[in-house]
Amino acid sequence: MNNAPVQPDNETVGKLKTDQMFINLGPQHPSTHGVLRVGLTVEGEVIVKAVPDIGYLHRGTEKLAEVRGYHHCVVLTDRWDYVSAMPNNLVFCLAAEKLMGVKAPPRADALRVIMCEMNRVASHLLFFGTYGIDIGAYTPFLYAFREREMILDLFEMMCGARLTYNYIRLGGVMVDATPEWLAKLREFVAYFKPKLDEYDSLLTYNPIFMARTEGVGLIGPEEAVNWGLSGPNLRGSGVNYDARRADPYCGYENYEFDVPLGKTGSCWDRFFCRAQEMRQSIRIIEQALAKLPEGAFMATGVAKIPKPAPGESYAHVEASRGDLGIHLVSDGGISPFRMHVRAPSFINLAMLQEKLVGMKVSDVIALLGSIDIVLGEVDR
Amino acid sequence: MTQDEIFASIQAKFPKIEKAAVIVKDYLTIRLPSKDVLLPLAAWLKETGFDYLEMVTAVDYLGPVDMKGYIRQMNFNTFLPDGATPQIESAATPNYPYRPVIDLVWSFVSITDKARVIVRLETPRDASSAPTLSGLFKTADWQEREIFDLFGVTYEGHPNLTKILTPDFLQGHPLRKDYAHVKDRYDE
Repeated sequence: MNNAPVQPDNETVGKLKTDQMFINLGPQHPSTHGVLRVGLTVEGEVIVKAVPDIGYLHRGTEKLAEVRGYHHCVVLTDRWDYVSAMPNNLVFCLAAEKLMGVKAPPRADALRVIMCEMNRVASHLLFFGTYGIDIGAYTPFLYAFREREMILDLFEMMCGARLTYNYIRLGGVMVDATPEWLAKLREFVAYFKPKLDEYDSLLTYNPIFMARTEGVGLIGPEEAVNWGLSGPNLRGSGVNYDARRADPYCGYENYEFDVPLGKTGSCWDRFFCRAQEMRQSIRIIEQALAKLPEGAFMATGVAKIPKPAPGESYAHVEASRGDLGIHLVSDGGISPFRMHVRAPSFINLAMLQEKLVGMKVSDVIALLGSIDIVLGEVDR
Repeated sequence: MTQDEIFASIQAKFPKIEKAAVIVKDYLTIRLPSKDVLLPLAAWLKETGFDYLEMVTAVDYLGPVDMKGYIRQMNFNTFLPDGATPQIESAATPNYPYRPVIDLVWSFVSITDKARVIVRLETPRDASSAPTLSGLFKTADWQEREIFDLFGVTYEGHPNLTKILTPDFLQGHPLRKDYAHVKDRYDE
């Protein structure tokens, strides 16, 4: 046995250097939830540089909108955030309705709220399941997809599509809710409520899961605002900003709900915010069902080929992934002169290049998963 | 704070700023006299609570897009017989002030006041540029890269002004109204 120390002393530690290595994360990787490439330069286990590479799914919807009629553009919106397409439909309709001076009738507003909140639950269930897989828990995924499938069945029953709905139209919604559909939805709400506690015991307060996510990927409130984060990512850092409260649309001011906030801005806080938001969405759906107004589901006076007067409008909604906004410019023609999408996933993802530096490789997926991006929306 | 109060406080600090002729409906829209005012204004807005840069975008006012460049089938309704008049065709609206400018747009939000200020700056199409806000707001980094990629707007002082959405081989800036597609290996 030689007398070499078991642990290197402080002098040697400074001199030891590991070779830097370049790793491609993606573009085809199960944990990136789509085609995202991150070029990671690692030194041992620690990341020294991260360069996200996006654009694999860029379809140029902003350009496509410039040569399509307003009704056609609703179809384009489905393809941004294909996991929760209802808010996408809604935000375009709101912006276009502002330009055209049309107001959706109360029943349409209530149906829009129900649909968007159902879609939020479906989207957060997908996050809940896949984030568990990212961390290494496979079982919650199966539970989450069981319930998500029920919501998608309800959507299919209503508008015939499971993901790309095209349900919310200019001036209202596509079809009215039938009594059978409403009964099925009530049945689902009653079935789903106790499941939320089951999820919490399965994953949210699971000690292994908490150990992997708590204290990882911390984002402070000032930092979150500076990076322009929105949705559960912003609220996970404790910033109380929700478009449903700040700039109410579709009568959200008449609903009672809480805005769940995180404390430290860690991956677990962002996860926790989404888990709590599902409860609030169910609360909103219950209220909307209880006071669903009678009447028309489509406003009158929406032209087949709308030609709004020249002008500009901006509308934003609280989509499942954050603050989704549309800036519309009309020149009086049959298609939008310019449509800009403020895509929350795209803006949330930008912080990755800085936040990953200094993290361990094993935590990359924990952070990436907790931002909850959809690449269709990142690239548009 | 109401829109008028916000505008009054902005004008007290920056007297040259005026309300935009075309406002974004429901929101306070102001127009900058020149690009030198942008950085001081953004810094002042950030101090006064408008610390959330919501959106960076641009509008090209050259004129309506010519569809022929990139729409294979002009007639959207495939059920119409051959030779029928297309339902939709891009056409210039008479009396609309088309002009060779690119309007740059920024949207600042105050989370505490729940207010929004939309800032606009008119720049010439051939030399469209503005100072970068990425020093003040980190979120401007990617959003400015996106506008650079799609419009060719130069943001002076940006640390990494490179393409972000379009592929490397793509020539030109697709969201410019006079963009013409150059055939590449993905065209049949």
